[in-house]
Amino acid sequence: MKNSTINLKDLVILVADPNQYLRRVVNGMLRGFGANKVLEVENSIGLFQALSGQKIDILLCDMRLPPHGGLKLTRTIRRNSDNENRTLPILLMSSDTSESTVKNSRDAGANIIVAKPMSPSALYDRLGWIVFNPRPFVDTATYFGPDRRFKIEGYPGGVGRRKGDKIIDVAAEEGPALGQDDIDSLFSNARAGQS
Amino acid sequence: MSKKPSPPANIFYADTRFERQARRAGGVDRDRALQRAQAEVEGLKADFDVWIDTEFKKLNTALAEITADPADKAALERANVCCAQLRDVGTTMGYELVTFIARTLCEILEAYIAGAPYDQNVIDCHSNAFMLARMEQYRHLRPDQVPEMTNGLLRVVELASIIPPDVAP
Repeated sequence: MKNSTINLKDLVILVADPNQYLRRVVNGMLRGFGANKVLEVENSIGLFQALSGQKIDILLCDMRLPPHGGLKLTRTIRRNSDNENRTLPILLMSSDTSESTVKNSRDAGANIIVAKPMSPSALYDRLGWIVFNPRPFVDTATYFGPDRRFKIEGYPGGVGRRKGDKIIDVAAEEGPALGQDDIDSLFSNARAGQS
Repeated sequence: MSKKPSPPANIFYADTRFERQARRAGGVDRDRALQRAQAEVEGLKADFDVWIDTEFKKLNTALAEITADPADKAALERANVCCAQLRDVGTTMGYELVTFIARTLCEILEAYIAGAPYDQNVIDCHSNAFMLARMEQYRHLRPDQVPEMTNGLLRVVELASIIPPDVAP
């Protein structure tokens, strides 16, 4: 992934964050990557106005975007079957990277999370992963979003979901913040499931 | 009662414009993209000092309001928002220590909002730490280069963010 090139020219990128300075920083990074159509909004009202007014190609949304928060917004976007942006790639930006938050984001339908404060390389690589590791969408009664299934070595108690899954020990869930690599692994396992 | 079988999941590739277009030739290669992005970030640094001063002023105003009335939830929320903004940008702009101090203060403010007992010393030691972090000799240090300060703040968070069981949600 590190050597892959992404072309952001003419793609409409929406940055939703209440922090005006952070929006400028992210906007600057995206322009450095070659983007030329970056929109900024400071709250979820602005976000929905932007989404209803035009086709957005990717959304970078703060986890705590007021007043609804990134998780609820992600669910709302994914669940609205009339919304042409329903399959929009969503990258959540969060300073809270506890395992439960990362899993909740994945279960809400986010494509990936990038930890704040972020570096240009962290952002570029996460965008690249969305581009070069497309996941199928899953539409069920209770979930709409990128495939969350794990191609792991097995499930506890031998309850494998897929043929060939093996039994493994799973550690108890813990609270501390995850590093970006750990966050990625919660998503990359799901991506690996397609092959 | 028998459980109704769930309808089968519909699985499909969305083939988004983002995925399609971003793979086109003519993009900026990673190394150059990162250099250019870093240059953009550097270009914002001149404004950063102004921005961080404004945020510190807002934070200090909110902290003074909290000192006057520790039960002032609105002031706690305002301080938390300011602090979160400092935390989320500091490291990106080369101020890792600011991010570290802001992170510990955010944890404490969130605990106060949730009902942890207020302690003025905790606020004062964070204000002092912020003051140091803005001084020339400290501003570009990493947290591991000032272990006395960072370990002290971590210990403060550990003790000050305990929410008594009778007020815990």
